[in-house]
Amino acid sequence: MIDFLQNWIYLTGAMALVGIGLYIVLTNTNILRIIVGLNIVDSGTNLFIVTIAWHPKSVMPIYTATNNLVVDGHVVAADPLPQSLVLTAIVIGLGTTALALAIAVKIYQKYGTLDVRKIKEEDK
Amino acid sequence: MMNDTPEMVKKVFAIFVVGILIVGFFMAFTQMPKANAVNVNNTVSRFYVMKDVDQATEMLDKGTYFNKDMVPLRNDVPYTPITFGKSANLEDGAANVVTSIVVDYRGFDTLGEVTVLFLAASGVMLVLHGQKRKIPKKRTEPSEIMYVGTRIAFAVILLFGIYVFIHGHLTPGGGFPGGAIIASGILGLFLGKQGYSPNKSGLTIFESLSGMAYVVIGIIGLIGEKSFLANFLPTGTIGDLFSAGFIALIYIAIGMKVGSELSAVTNAMIIDTEDD
Repeated sequence: MIDFLQNWIYLTGAMALVGIGLYIVLTNTNILRIIVGLNIVDSGTNLFIVTIAWHPKSVMPIYTATNNLVVDGHVVAADPLPQSLVLTAIVIGLGTTALALAIAVKIYQKYGTLDVRKIKEEDK
Repeated sequence: MMNDTPEMVKKVFAIFVVGILIVGFFMAFTQMPKANAVNVNNTVSRFYVMKDVDQATEMLDKGTYFNKDMVPLRNDVPYTPITFGKSANLEDGAANVVTSIVVDYRGFDTLGEVTVLFLAASGVMLVLHGQKRKIPKKRTEPSEIMYVGTRIAFAVILLFGIYVFIHGHLTPGGGFPGGAIIASGILGLFLGKQGYSPNKSGLTIFESLSGMAYVVIGIIGLIGEKSFLANFLPTGTIGDLFSAGFIALIYIAIGMKVGSELSAVTNAMIIDTEDD
């Protein structure tokens, strides 16, 4: 079990983050908490994508004076492509969160509550 | 009504759903390569790291990289070794490989990303538009130390943000983190003085100009080189500040755009959520 955790700690962490976020989304009725849960799911998926491109002996994919990415024709760096995909995903997550929060402000101004059940009752 | 179901049952059901997801995750793990065995040598990313994507494309056209069984990529590919500070006129001169992918090889995708951020920011401003700031009943003015301190800190934070996005092709960072750093400095100004509001039209003009600069750089690439967002400047020696062609230019545009955009979003949210 300890060996498993040492090798898979980041994958397990990513899985745990997605699970926690999904649990928050499923059990809470407050819109702000749902947004927080979705953000945690977002972090979990980002961590997952970065982790599958990484291994414990890899170096960072940046050429510096002391950091050689290619040794004897073999690339020893972490895979840079998923990292750049995650860079995109982080920014888009930020934008969607900002928009969701703005809409939550408007919902509070109209209904006076952020509870999705009470909003549903008031709509009837 | 939904409220008939006891709270406990709902939580158990939620745990059940999450458990199913985790089991699915575990099943995906068995399909994946084992830990410590992720090998960039067998993936497409090795061409980005070795900076020979053009050569790889040529050889892919001839079919030399793929055999008939579609075993992805072979290891015995010739490459030119890259030395930091010596190798010059590479295909892409950025020392930071992630940056070279984000801005150079996938530059069009980054233009779309900037557009998404722009749409989100304009959506926030559209939704929260036209709200007047309420004057708080209990005014607690920030002290003089806060006022002066945030202004001094803003100068330093602005400088650091500019450093981050100018050195995007050499160090971790780039336009998006640099812009976020600048916006956090402007958030400090909000804390320092009650009723502070940045020049909105100035922010809009700044944002539009820098967004336009990105597209103009792309069109220059279209005219001067083969394709939209193609690198039209010399790539220089890897590791120099003036290297990597147009990556620094694009990151300056992105940094200014993201900084002004996030500042405008902060402005909209702070004004419109201030309670009495």
